[in-house]
Amino acid sequence: MSQTEQKTIRKAAKGDRAAFRELVLEHSHAMFRLAWRLTSDETAAEDIVQESFIKAWRKIGEFRMESSFKSWLHRITVNTAMDYLRKHVRRKQFETEEPEWETVEHAGVATDTGTQIDISTQTQAAMMDLSESERTALLLKHYEGHSIIEVARIMEITTGACKQNIFRAVKKMRIALRPLVAT
Amino acid sequence: MKKITDDDLVLLFYGEHDDPALAVMVAESEELSARYDALSAELKLADTYLPPERADDYGSDVWQRISSQLGANGNRRAGRLNAWLASLAQPRFSLAGALSFALVAVLAFILGRDGGPEIINTPGMPGDIVNGTSISMTEIDPGRLLTHSVSGHLEQVNLILTQFANTTESRSSESNFATDMLVANRLYRQAAVSQGNTKLAAFLADLEPLLIELAYEAQSGSAATRERMQQEVRDGLLFRVRVMNRQLNKSEISI
Repeated sequence: MSQTEQKTIRKAAKGDRAAFRELVLEHSHAMFRLAWRLTSDETAAEDIVQESFIKAWRKIGEFRMESSFKSWLHRITVNTAMDYLRKHVRRKQFETEEPEWETVEHAGVATDTGTQIDISTQTQAAMMDLSESERTALLLKHYEGHSIIEVARIMEITTGACKQNIFRAVKKMRIALRPLVAT
Repeated sequence: MKKITDDDLVLLFYGEHDDPALAVMVAESEELSARYDALSAELKLADTYLPPERADDYGSDVWQRISSQLGANGNRRAGRLNAWLASLAQPRFSLAGALSFALVAVLAFILGRDGGPEIINTPGMPGDIVNGTSISMTEIDPGRLLTHSVSGHLEQVNLILTQFANTTESRSSESNFATDMLVANRLYRQAAVSQGNTKLAAFLADLEPLLIELAYEAQSGSAATRERMQQEVRDGLLFRVRVMNRQLNKSEISI
């Protein structure tokens, strides 16, 4: 974390809205990517980003400079996304006989012109087939580039449990994606 | 030699394996290299899981959406100041609201003291100019004064009921405001009774149970209670408040 960012965080913690705005501008895109990968839902991801920043504003005084601010924001985003998934996905599953991601999976039949789209949708379906903790661990590791120790901190689990989540996630993803490698 | 598992290869892929010699072992072993290449190829497919693009100004967009919702943060001094500033925007602390509320007690005293249905023929409010003469406090028409004051009260009740009927989450300000309204409502009702205005007194009495619930139960009660109360407000109470206020403004009700 740069000294400039530390300064901005300190100002925001003292109630400086302009400083907090800078942090929002800096981290919005990354938070959206994470929220979208966790939910696979664009609107939900936008809501999660906004809610996460509101929570971050309220709690920024509790942030300690020893960890990365990005990791701290990711922890808030992950928790907010999990809350969202627990509330909304369950409701969706009650409302429709078939979970949304299964529709995506069925749509993923290979076509000559849409191979790239097909791989993307298959990957998305495979990702949504993981458990919440497997998906979160893999996303934070694979896409966000956090170390296993950081992922464990964000998820508030031990590094051992974090590794196990990543191993299980990778195993499942490989099974789902293996048929596509030759494509 | 220790058996190299797929989990070891996963850790190597992510640069997290504790043993730096593993990379050399994989490079030197045909079998391990093949396993590692297969793992890499499959995991690299996961990179196609791309989120939809956001515009460059997405951050500004997020800020615009959230900035109005940012209250006080962890800082206490800023928190208090922001909370105080925010409270000024609340209807209960609008200047007119504060003044009218302070006048309620005085008004109730005057109306109660003057009590009875006697109507002074001079029309107008204190300070009004009638035929070039300013009306003094002794010439106040208690009936008109009551009508005028209750009309202001109903405007505030209308505001809080509208807010209540249209918000899903309870707020502490809602409860505080309802408590103020309840006190004012009781004072006005007593004044109406002392003036013999039974229609107005009955109407204000009808309002009381909901204001009591709003003041004491809306915040702590269940979601079902809140929904039931909101339904009650939408089903007719709000409408009755507005109609009564309109009648008061037109002085159509008997005093």
